[in-house]
Amino acid sequence: MKLDDAPVPNPVVVLREESDDWAILFNPDTSAAVGTNPVGVEIWKQADGTRSLRDIAATVARRFSNVPEGASGEVLSFADELARDGFFGVAEGAEG
Amino acid sequence: MSDAVEDGSVPPLGTIYCYLTEGCNLACRHCWLAPKFDADGSGHAVLPVDVFEGVVREAKPLGLSSVKFTGGEPLLHPRFGDLVEIASKAGVSVQVETNGLLCTPETARLIAGAPRPFVSVSIDGADAATHEWLRGIAGSFDKACRAVRNLSEAGLAPQVVMTLVRENMGQIEAVVRMAERLGAGSVRFNMVEPTARGADLGRANALPGVEELVAAGRIVDSDLAARTRMSLHFDIPQAFRPLGRIARSDESCGILTILGLLSTGHYALCGIGMQVKELVFGMAGKDNLSGIWRGSRVLGEIRAGLPQRLQGVCGRCLMNSRCLGACLAQNYYRLGSMWGPYWFCEQAEEQGLFPSTRVGGTV
Ligand code: SF4
Repeated sequence: MKLDDAPVPNPVVVLREESDDWAILFNPDTSAAVGTNPVGVEIWKQADGTRSLRDIAATVARRFSNVPEGASGEVLSFADELARDGFFGVAEGAEG
Repeated sequence: MSDAVEDGSVPPLGTIYCYLTEGCNLACRHCWLAPKFDADGSGHAVLPVDVFEGVVREAKPLGLSSVKFTGGEPLLHPRFGDLVEIASKAGVSVQVETNGLLCTPETARLIAGAPRPFVSVSIDGADAATHEWLRGIAGSFDKACRAVRNLSEAGLAPQVVMTLVRENMGQIEAVVRMAERLGAGSVRFNMVEPTARGADLGRANALPGVEELVAAGRIVDSDLAARTRMSLHFDIPQAFRPLGRIARSDESCGILTILGLLSTGHYALCGIGMQVKELVFGMAGKDNLSGIWRGSRVLGEIRAGLPQRLQGVCGRCLMNSRCLGACLAQNYYRLGSMWGPYWFCEQAEEQGLFPSTRVGGTV
């Protein structure tokens, strides 16, 4: 993925939030599951096919005191991981 | 290095659990191995030093990086120092699980001189009455506390291990505070496995139920852990542990990379070999270790079958590739099948306590 890509969540994937603000993303079709911290949860919630990863990185940097301004690299690698495992796709023509 | 493990389906043999003595100088009510009582280590089988030396030599090319000395009671071994020296010369890290009765300042220094040493001492209450109710021998509480101090003064960060029974459930925080004062580096809380004497305790209604354990684990993980400088580990199946705590620890079952060595010289899955003969694989010194590690039918089945052959709730659990079914030895003891389900999670599911976020399917 690139920073200008707008990730689209796989519609079958369910976000299962837990009491400590971590969560599990679960794909019932494949039984694939991935655990994620509160920052990852926010990235998942922001991803709606219109927001670019660059915008999402800026949002999480504003909302989480432990995420530095230039953390787009971490956001990108998290999104890549989710895309590789079929949790994210990329919106067609959502560049910019 | 002709024995070096190269086949991708055979993992390295990372750790050997060495059950050094058949006897033990305590008579714990919950012991899952039920060793014979032996006040001074003279009455029962101990692992011969030359057998241990040969095993280390054979295991090094298979990937051996650590040995765990346990028992019975490992410090009852009359040549414990020689065993530490052999491991040290091989550059193998030394872990010791002890009741502390024989852990003098000299023994503590001996262990501290080994590569990457780690020692855990069992203390089951914040006072002598509670600890000794479980451990069966008067005076054992003071000696265990002194052992932790000795280890700490020798430069180690010993772990206090508290085994949870109904009798001591109210003392969890008190044990943490006591461990801090004694100079421990961590505290681990263990559940009693319903094996051997542990099964008797369960029948006598002396063990906390699944619900109590889940609640206690939650308090330890999400409250107490933040209020101590020590690391705390509540030994409960992974489905019940907060994801954040799991992510910060690298704990997962080592079953794929460990082998047991019993005091009789037999290789086994782990100490369960003392109870279940089908999980004994051969004899050190007589049978070739590389052949056992690569060719044992049981080990091969475990490698090929985990986690997809796990049954019941373990088969549906989203943590199963990390947890690996909690304890295959315990499953075998209880059900005659390694694939479970593990008793704790099965009971939790029956009681509606299994976390719905951690199980496959729609919730
Ligand atoms: S259900 Fe089985 S695999 Fe899952 S946490 Fe419990 S014991 Fe482990």
